[in-house]
Amino acid sequence: MLQAVKNQFNVTVKTIKYGLMREMINKTSFIMNVSFMILNNASFIIQWIVIYSLKDNVGGYSFNQVLLLWAIAASTYGFSHFIFKKSYSLSDIITNGKLDSFLVQPKNVLISAITSDIEVSALGDILYGYIVLAISGLTLTRFLLFTLFSITGAIVITDIAVLLGSLSFWFGKSDMIADTGNSLMTNFATYPDGIFKGLARILLLTIIPLGLTTYFPVWIITTFNLKLTLIVIISTIIITLFTFIIFYKGLRRYSSTNLMISKI
Amino acid sequence: MSVISVKNLSKSFKVKQKEKGFIGSVKSIIQPNYKVIKAVNDISFQVDEGEVVAFIGPNGAGKSTTIKMLTGILYPDSGHIDVLGIDPTKARKKLAYEIGTVFGQKEQLWMHLTAYDNFKFFSAIYDIPEKEAEKRIEELSKLFDLEKFINTPVRNLSLGQRVRCEFVASLIHKPKVLFLDEPTIGLDPVVKENVRKLIKKMNKEYHTTIFLTSHDISDIEKLCKRVIIINDGTIVMDDSMSNLKYHYMDKKIIEVKLKSKINFNNVKGIKVLKEKENNSRLEINTNETNLTTILKFINPENIIDINISNIPLEEIISAIYRKE
Amino acid sequence: MKKYLHIYKSELMSNLQYMLNIVFRLVNFLLLIFIFMNLWDYIYDNPNELINGYSKNQMIWYVIITEIIWGATDGRRYCRKISEDVKGGNIAYMMNKPYSYIGYSIASHLGETTIKTLISVIVGFAMGLFFLKDFPVLTLPAIVIVIISSILAVLINSLLVTFIGLISFIIEDSNPIFWLYSKMILVLGVLFPIEYFPGIFAQIMKYSPIYVTCYGPAKLFVDFSYSTTVEILLSQIIYLCIAWLMCHALYMKGVRKLNVTGG
Repeated sequence: MLQAVKNQFNVTVKTIKYGLMREMINKTSFIMNVSFMILNNASFIIQWIVIYSLKDNVGGYSFNQVLLLWAIAASTYGFSHFIFKKSYSLSDIITNGKLDSFLVQPKNVLISAITSDIEVSALGDILYGYIVLAISGLTLTRFLLFTLFSITGAIVITDIAVLLGSLSFWFGKSDMIADTGNSLMTNFATYPDGIFKGLARILLLTIIPLGLTTYFPVWIITTFNLKLTLIVIISTIIITLFTFIIFYKGLRRYSSTNLMISKI
Repeated sequence: MSVISVKNLSKSFKVKQKEKGFIGSVKSIIQPNYKVIKAVNDISFQVDEGEVVAFIGPNGAGKSTTIKMLTGILYPDSGHIDVLGIDPTKARKKLAYEIGTVFGQKEQLWMHLTAYDNFKFFSAIYDIPEKEAEKRIEELSKLFDLEKFINTPVRNLSLGQRVRCEFVASLIHKPKVLFLDEPTIGLDPVVKENVRKLIKKMNKEYHTTIFLTSHDISDIEKLCKRVIIINDGTIVMDDSMSNLKYHYMDKKIIEVKLKSKINFNNVKGIKVLKEKENNSRLEINTNETNLTTILKFINPENIIDINISNIPLEEIISAIYRKE
Repeated sequence: MKKYLHIYKSELMSNLQYMLNIVFRLVNFLLLIFIFMNLWDYIYDNPNELINGYSKNQMIWYVIITEIIWGATDGRRYCRKISEDVKGGNIAYMMNKPYSYIGYSIASHLGETTIKTLISVIVGFAMGLFFLKDFPVLTLPAIVIVIISSILAVLINSLLVTFIGLISFIIEDSNPIFWLYSKMILVLGVLFPIEYFPGIFAQIMKYSPIYVTCYGPAKLFVDFSYSTTVEILLSQIIYLCIAWLMCHALYMKGVRKLNVTGG
């Protein structure tokens, strides 16, 4: 079991390494991708400067906290898209029969499939996250907590992407649903939770687990809270397990019905 | 010893039917219309260790479906599969260590990496320890003549070299059975020949059992001692290559160019396939007549040019497809 | 003109079966508007307050209109398509067809997005009416002008995105440039009217694509006047011509380069 995990990890690291090597062949394009993504993210600071020029406090967040919110949202997104890029096109992988090549490998199908390519521009998101963290105040604890939550957050949003992508096992082509769900996560992740009221706020903190990926981390990094930290970690594990179960249920369906082959 | 054994294997698909036009599009969203297609219908066969078997049939006959079931990608509706003593539906991963697959033109190599790095990557997928992998790569590159270009990025290789690397990559983990789905599709004749040599060599050197599907009859003619023909999901023939040819040996094709025209119609044992001025293409049934009689009938003095041949394998096989 | 209509029509038909998917993309749009309603709700202490000359309802209508127009272009996918045509060599096949590549791309792309846009117009307006219980006072000619101005905005935006996509002739990947362009429009144009920015910035923005692709039609919708109409429509027409010329020049340059290197 442990050996299997080690072997899987080994393959993933190699994939990332080789992917990076490929992207670095064209240096200009590589640097453009990363740096433009940083600029791209930075442009939203303007939006918040305008908003904070109208009010000192938006949804209970100071300007500094909004920066933190952005930082954590960006690196969460970055880690997820860098390492697990293919989870965002899982629907396509399933409906076009591209899972086959992973099924004949003696590795975990889900992990192999979603880590089979990297997104270089996501490095820009990760870097941006850390840059903004530095601007909003850098200490060792903040750095460690930030890294921890970027990773748990990345796992959670990857889980959601996989769950949405897995819908294709049952409903065929459903990439638009997945895209919608994924961008919904990103859209909400960059606004303070306090501006939402009532049901919307409850939904965001629970079913759409933005609490786990961005809001709680911002609260915890601002004032440390052990209980909330544990909740984040444990929930991440539970959601991940659930994701694996659903994916493998879908995979059984893929293997037993093969709805995907419309052209034999 | 049988390496692959298949008993009463069946698999059907539901295929969405779409009616034409705009109304059809809307209808197919609201109430999809499914048609059940029996892709594989109660087939059974066995493959022994070291055999090279061709699994052929027209498009949509169930070839790919069968290969997918044998490799654990698809589960059968009913029937039993045993590959190397493993049930693919129960232990897909375990089976994956033992088999190799090459699916037509789907490239599995990283283009920007050297062949060597690619092989290292595949070694990692199959959990082969570093040292062992290096030894294996050296051995394979010697055997398949990759030494000259093993350190060149794959994208800079010629198609032939690339295909060779592709095959070697699938041998890195010493598979006992190799599944090849259309291994020569879309390749030019020279590369095709190259691939065939490669497959022969794999079989000879490592005694690898090879199960291949192909549309290209010459692949089969040159590689396989045994042919399984599948059509409409059922096996219509499972026989040795020599038997297959032998069955159709009672027919010969004569192409002849004459000085003066002869009427071949209504001559016993001759079927006129084509006739144009003094040129004729004839099919001779040697059960009803023999070549000596025919040649005498034509009169050697009258012949400008003549060519006698067997019926091409391609025609034999399409006759089987048509169930003649 | 007829051939572009035909290209447009055939794409439109083949996309009807994605109706369901369109609905899902709409959800995205809806939620975005929802976020803005919440945000402005939070920022405006009372609904009658004016910030930079806009009431809360005007601000929300402003975002609804700019979002519809921005969504109608669906630039991200479009830019990728163009740059893939350029990089993948598809453009070489299009070159000797009896139509202009630029016209073809825009017609076929807008054919794909039209249904989605119409639905987002309906949903956007329904949402505005439902939550705000308020609709700007507009006469019939004003409505026509707003529609014309919106269509011009979409065309200009599509041309500018085409231009960015065609930059792939020069640098390998033009997508990063599109991100910057889209962020500029989104942050500076879609979310806030020009009046929200301090003097010199507002002045610069008046000459930027933001003015013609976002601000123009939305401003006319929430705060109509004939004097702004003239100014906005005139700028749009000038921009349309410039954008088309830019695309055409870059395309010609790229094609020449393609001929030299042999694609």
